[in-house]
Amino acid sequence: MSLNKNFSSDGKLFTIQIKGKFDFNLVQAFRSAYSEIGDKTPKVIIDLRETDYMDSSALGMLLNMKKSLGDSVSSIQIANCRPQIKKILQISRFDKKFDID
Amino acid sequence: MFYFFIRHYLELYLHILVVDDQALNCTLLKFMLEQESHTVFCVSNGKEAVEQFTDINPDIVLLDVMMPIMDGFEAAPLIKKQVSDVYLPIIFITALDDQRSLTRCLEVGGDDFISKPFDKIILSAKIKAHSRTRELSQKSFEQKKLLEFHQNEVQREHEIVEHIFKNALIEHLNVPDIIDYHLSPASMFNGDLFLVSPSPIGGLYIMLGDFTGHGLAAAIGALPTSKIFYSMAHKGLTVGEIATELNNMLADLLPGHMFCAASILELNKTGRSVNAWLGGLPDGYILDEIGQVKRELESQHMALGILESYEFEDNIVHFEVENTDRILVFTDGIIEASDTNDDFFGEERVLEIMSGSKQAKIGDVVNAVKDFSGDIEQQDDLSLALIHCKATPLPDDEPRSFSQIPMTFTVKLKHEQLKASDPVVQFVDLVCSIEGASEHRSNLFLLLSEAYNNALDHGILGLNSQGKDTEEGFYEYYEQRAEALSQLNSGSLDFTAFYQPDNQTVLFTIEDSGDGFCTTHRHHADNKTHSHGRGLGLMEEIATSISYNDIGNKININYCLNERATNT
Repeated sequence: MSLNKNFSSDGKLFTIQIKGKFDFNLVQAFRSAYSEIGDKTPKVIIDLRETDYMDSSALGMLLNMKKSLGDSVSSIQIANCRPQIKKILQISRFDKKFDID
Repeated sequence: MFYFFIRHYLELYLHILVVDDQALNCTLLKFMLEQESHTVFCVSNGKEAVEQFTDINPDIVLLDVMMPIMDGFEAAPLIKKQVSDVYLPIIFITALDDQRSLTRCLEVGGDDFISKPFDKIILSAKIKAHSRTRELSQKSFEQKKLLEFHQNEVQREHEIVEHIFKNALIEHLNVPDIIDYHLSPASMFNGDLFLVSPSPIGGLYIMLGDFTGHGLAAAIGALPTSKIFYSMAHKGLTVGEIATELNNMLADLLPGHMFCAASILELNKTGRSVNAWLGGLPDGYILDEIGQVKRELESQHMALGILESYEFEDNIVHFEVENTDRILVFTDGIIEASDTNDDFFGEERVLEIMSGSKQAKIGDVVNAVKDFSGDIEQQDDLSLALIHCKATPLPDDEPRSFSQIPMTFTVKLKHEQLKASDPVVQFVDLVCSIEGASEHRSNLFLLLSEAYNNALDHGILGLNSQGKDTEEGFYEYYEQRAEALSQLNSGSLDFTAFYQPDNQTVLFTIEDSGDGFCTTHRHHADNKTHSHGRGLGLMEEIATSISYNDIGNKININYCLNERATNT
């Protein structure tokens, strides 16, 4: 379980990558990751390529992030989901609120 | 074998075969040659000479023309036939002075003449001259042998290495409608490499690399590079992570002056989004449907294998593309191919060809480079690839099999363990040891995590989810939870999993020591906006069935393994 964050070279893209387990254990780390977003209104990508596990607490964290960031980002994309993770997002209708690739 | 030849040509004294039917000539020649310390063998006609040739193994043959049984004209070609590799001088002994006979001597393979009566000085001079020629011939024969030996050795090694390269570099991924590429090495081995691998989450990884120089030395780095690339691609890691790993490996492995310029791309499964790590290759291009440049992909980093791991930057560029776009990447061999005036082919020519026609292909660029360079030998490896930004569906599911053995797992946790551990992943690992369960990992985690946390949070810790709707409330909830957990001094939780092979179903139960909740106040499953209460809805969708006991401190979850994990 870990969380990495990264600005692209041009500062227009902010990526948060979550490895292993995405649940309430990451509450603080996740919140502090997106608090560094700055004022350049970047696009945010939540990269879940290495996320094996996710539960409803992660969904809560994503929703809180969206509320908290509001217009300070150009968009939030949940990217590279494995099929079962994507299914969890779909069941929760997250595709209506987030751009899920 | 070579020792023999070396000894032989260093020896000043020769084995000389004299073939003459007149005993006087034989005696005379034997006397004169033995004075010079050569070893002389005499036979009296051509037939004997031919028959005894191999045994005597002479360095020079003195051959009379007119002899009984077999004359010199007949014997000469038969003798020459017995030696193939090293020059064997045949000197005709002749009193003939008519031009026709002398010509015939040469035609049948004679190399020189010595005329009767014999002159010692002329004889000695001719023997020396021909023995020097034979010596040179022997030397060059030996060198030729050595060369052949080494060539065979090198060829054998190349074949082995080529085999290894072929197996290492080629993954049998066939995506011709997405990837159009060309690689032509300047020598047998390619210092450029082009790797493509599917991602486990759909989409493709593509890497074009160019090692310093060309040939085997340049190609050697391709082996570990391809292994790492494929293994990381199979795990679905990011291009930044792949680049970091490759850089660290190559920095350790390669000598200081060698490195690998590379572009590593990830085209996602929709074909609409690309992540790229670009280090040291010439600019790549995003081309639209008609071949116009939409965006340049400028190198951001130094090539792989130069920087130490603490200096290395894994920043990527990210861009959105249309499904009709193409990504063009190439190595400097293409743009630096030169013509007879030493002009470079250049990027403009590449782009001109690609924008010349909607159907322009990699082959068109390659042909243009060949025409441009004409007869000039290819100086560097030429590689280029055109990637069509199309969607790539997930690889097919593999056939599955299920355990035939019924199994039950039971885990009983006391409050000490509830405090100290987060056991859900361990539950999942336990259940995934059942054959056929592993592909359901994520679903099983979700079910068990929701059930466990409900039992712990509400059943044992007695927390209330109200207030979790606001952002601050959400964080406060988890702070309260941590606090309550740290003060926990009673309570227990039992987890069981029962696998039934006849219907490939696992029945989970999670029972806590709490008072249970009133099932009529169950959380609103379809709630889309609130940050809590979503868990139960998810569980109901993912599990085959869910039920509770009367007081609500025990949940039963049925999950069938014989359904695709992603069916909804």
